[in-house]
Amino acid sequence: MREKIKEQLDLLKAKGAHYVDARWYPREDSNFLFMWNGNLKENNASSQSGMGVRVLYNGAWGFSASSDLTNPNAIFDRAFDNARIASERVTFPIRLAEKEAIVDSFNSPNQIDPFIVGLDEKVAFLQKMDAALNQPGVVQRFSLLEFVRKQIIFMDSEGSEIEKNIIEVFPGIQAMGIDKDGGMQRRKYAPGRSGATRGWESINETDFLTNAERIVSELNQVLVADDAPNGKMSVILLNGIMFLQTHETIGHALELDRILGYELSFAGGSFVRLEDFGNLRYGSEKLTARANALEPNSPGSFGFDDDGVPAQDNLLIDKGILVGAITGRQMVEEANAKAKKQIFDGSSGANRATSFYRVPIERMTNINIDPGTDGSLEDIIADTKYGLVLDGDKSWSIGSNREQFHFACDIGWLVEDGQKKQVVKNPTYRGETLPFYNSLSAVGDESTWHVHYVENCGKGAPNQIMQLGHGIPVCRFDNVQVGE
Amino acid sequence: MSNQVIDLLQKLRQSTIKKGLQALISYHEEDSYLMRFANSAISLNTNEHLISLDFIAFDGRKKVSYSMIADPCDFESMEKGLDTLVEMLPHAQALSYDPTFPVYEKDVVDERSFDPALATLTNEERLAYFNTLAEGLESEDVKLSGIFSSGTTTTAQISTANEHTQYFRSTDAQVTAVLSSEGLKWEVNAEQSAQKKSDLDAEGLHTDLALLVKHYQEDQSVQLPVGKYTVVLGPAATAELSNIMTYYGMTGGALMQGYSFLKEEDQGKHLFSERINLVDDPREVEIYAQNADRFGMERKPFPLISEGRFQAFMWDQDSADEFGKTPTGHDVSHTSLVMDGGDKSIATLKDLLEMDREEDILYVPYIHYMNVVNPTQGMVTGSSRFGALFLKKDGSVQVPYNVRLTQKFSDFFGERVQWMSKEQVAYNVSSSYGRRDPTALKVPRFICVKEIEISHSNPSY
Repeated sequence: MREKIKEQLDLLKAKGAHYVDARWYPREDSNFLFMWNGNLKENNASSQSGMGVRVLYNGAWGFSASSDLTNPNAIFDRAFDNARIASERVTFPIRLAEKEAIVDSFNSPNQIDPFIVGLDEKVAFLQKMDAALNQPGVVQRFSLLEFVRKQIIFMDSEGSEIEKNIIEVFPGIQAMGIDKDGGMQRRKYAPGRSGATRGWESINETDFLTNAERIVSELNQVLVADDAPNGKMSVILLNGIMFLQTHETIGHALELDRILGYELSFAGGSFVRLEDFGNLRYGSEKLTARANALEPNSPGSFGFDDDGVPAQDNLLIDKGILVGAITGRQMVEEANAKAKKQIFDGSSGANRATSFYRVPIERMTNINIDPGTDGSLEDIIADTKYGLVLDGDKSWSIGSNREQFHFACDIGWLVEDGQKKQVVKNPTYRGETLPFYNSLSAVGDESTWHVHYVENCGKGAPNQIMQLGHGIPVCRFDNVQVGE
Repeated sequence: MSNQVIDLLQKLRQSTIKKGLQALISYHEEDSYLMRFANSAISLNTNEHLISLDFIAFDGRKKVSYSMIADPCDFESMEKGLDTLVEMLPHAQALSYDPTFPVYEKDVVDERSFDPALATLTNEERLAYFNTLAEGLESEDVKLSGIFSSGTTTTAQISTANEHTQYFRSTDAQVTAVLSSEGLKWEVNAEQSAQKKSDLDAEGLHTDLALLVKHYQEDQSVQLPVGKYTVVLGPAATAELSNIMTYYGMTGGALMQGYSFLKEEDQGKHLFSERINLVDDPREVEIYAQNADRFGMERKPFPLISEGRFQAFMWDQDSADEFGKTPTGHDVSHTSLVMDGGDKSIATLKDLLEMDREEDILYVPYIHYMNVVNPTQGMVTGSSRFGALFLKKDGSVQVPYNVRLTQKFSDFFGERVQWMSKEQVAYNVSSSYGRRDPTALKVPRFICVKEIEISHSNPSY
């Protein structure tokens, strides 16, 4: 197949294409097990294979994909034809930032391939989790395991040939109960990605059992709790909500395709403008954020993006000042041209596609916030006059330019005069992105920092689901509107 | 009907039986085309041809499944999928209830929603459509974005119980056109759902866009004070609210899992406005209805709300099996929801703008990023987007910055409903996250609701 792809890359170049690439997935396997109240509701294996071809012709993209590889040349022909039609309506001819031709491979770090682990062992894990969650107060419970293994061959007309072999493991548990007012409440747990590998060995049964006991205990406290207070106060966001705050209001806001208006018909734009880079005070001096695709154990680390650019660690916000974005080869060229100055020094290696049948777009890698110097969670609580400690991503809704947001959490703890007090239920908070990050008053140290994975980030048309990570500390924000 | 599809299913059925499996075999084929626009250019022109197979094997209370995106010529890989099921089944854990094994009693063929002309729409026609809808409206500041997504979806099923097959084929198109100001960052849109080529109406979208752009360029912008407003919902807002309300509130699974804002004893109760009639209607071809569910149950009109009374929960097969209920033909990838029109003839945005009004009205065509804050209270939140207007009592119009609405379903569809348009439109809610699954609702063009609370108001676009 590689020879056939090479022939077609050369052929389309000879026909006038400026650039061509192909992503051939010889095989992608996944395995999903889902146990609900003791019933193994889903026990699914799946596989897919196929090829996607992207052609740049006269400043416009064409893409085509198929699972039918009987005649791969037809995929190249359709992609070329799609580009030819697209080139009839061009306003800014697409060009790609320079990159080196790379012949290399990437293998995600793992010790035990989850696909060679027996089904009995996987079901036994779920049964243990189910038993651990099956406690008084819990009316619904589930545990899940999801595994992905994919082989991707990337080849382009610039001479790159990259093979990626990636394994991902996504475990999780959740317990639900009915509160004193008849409302459904929940607590859930998915492990952080602190280890160096991401195979079956990364699932730590003891850790899960410890956390199953914790979330059941916390759930039972929520079930008898009063509603969270309304009003302006400090909020201390634990990892289970701070990851999402970061994701929605730093990550998505800094995707360069959104900033340039390429998502306006679906996901939305960004309040960030090109002139903001290097100038905009995004947050307080305590805020330093980065896109680090080099974390060892995260789905946001992938070796090379789907432009064939190596994964990188880049600053996005430096001590509160906006300095970088999440970029691919096309967008950095357009941004620099529109700004009439060099804002971006090449692609940051974040152009990714969810499958062979989707086109690469700017996606988050690991959008992290650096640990701070304000101590442990306990230290931050002790330094807080009045507020809430919040955890759990119950719901989220963000303005179309990421300028404002509303989050609901699974649990809150009242904080008064430096003391963590009783649990409260149904906490929500909302705010405007820039004032919110400028109210960042404390950032936890390394002891509070964890990599949290996201397996369902949606974007693009046609829509794409992407997996990524967020390394985040506990953070405190002041004068936040809570309730409503 | 495609003999190739049926032949493949029959061949797979024979292989499945030979391997000693009792199984349901499902086929999904999509031929998808998407032209995407951004910054007044075609930012992407793509097509995908994908064939997926799903096998669910049953052994008493044990159930396992295998899915694949398949090369139709690679039967060997399909057989390997069946071998995987053979390996998995002994290790599966038995369910605590008896899952129903599908036995089709007859052949079903439903191609009512298929239009050959839409299936063969060309790239040139998609481009011409967008050129027409945007004609004269773009400028240095105002840029065109959007999608023209169209395609053909074929699904089919067979079980090892007998040789009967089910076969469904439909065409669909979903068009979203956005005009946005680069400088001010406002954005207006016009959308269309189509099931056949003759549904496509680029001129109609042009009319709506031109009207909205005129108001956004000429009228005063305003940050509305938070508080209660009389709100007119556009079809996008009504359809998304209805869709989420039925998904979270009106399925048997949500009820039994404790997520629904409705309770079993609410069936028959007057919980919504008497003006609201909502039915899942498999007769509605333009919203991609199909006449049988995955387990072979014939689908019939299923009233959810009749004159404000909640009627019944929808039960898919697995939930019905688990909780001892009777399935209602809802083992489907999408429902076909229809909300009846009202008694006020307001068919277009122009009609709405010219309507006599006795109070200020906030027009919210679209609610962006809607999410459920509290499912058991039926509370949702989201922000206005894509062309909100503030229609002043004195006849003037202002352009509001986007606002956030955090309300209960009963606030939107309860006693506060003032009037509903007689005219209905199909609104496309298809998602292309996974397999193509054309989904639309038919809803009144406008619904007016009083005392909707605005909890946050943006200080700019």
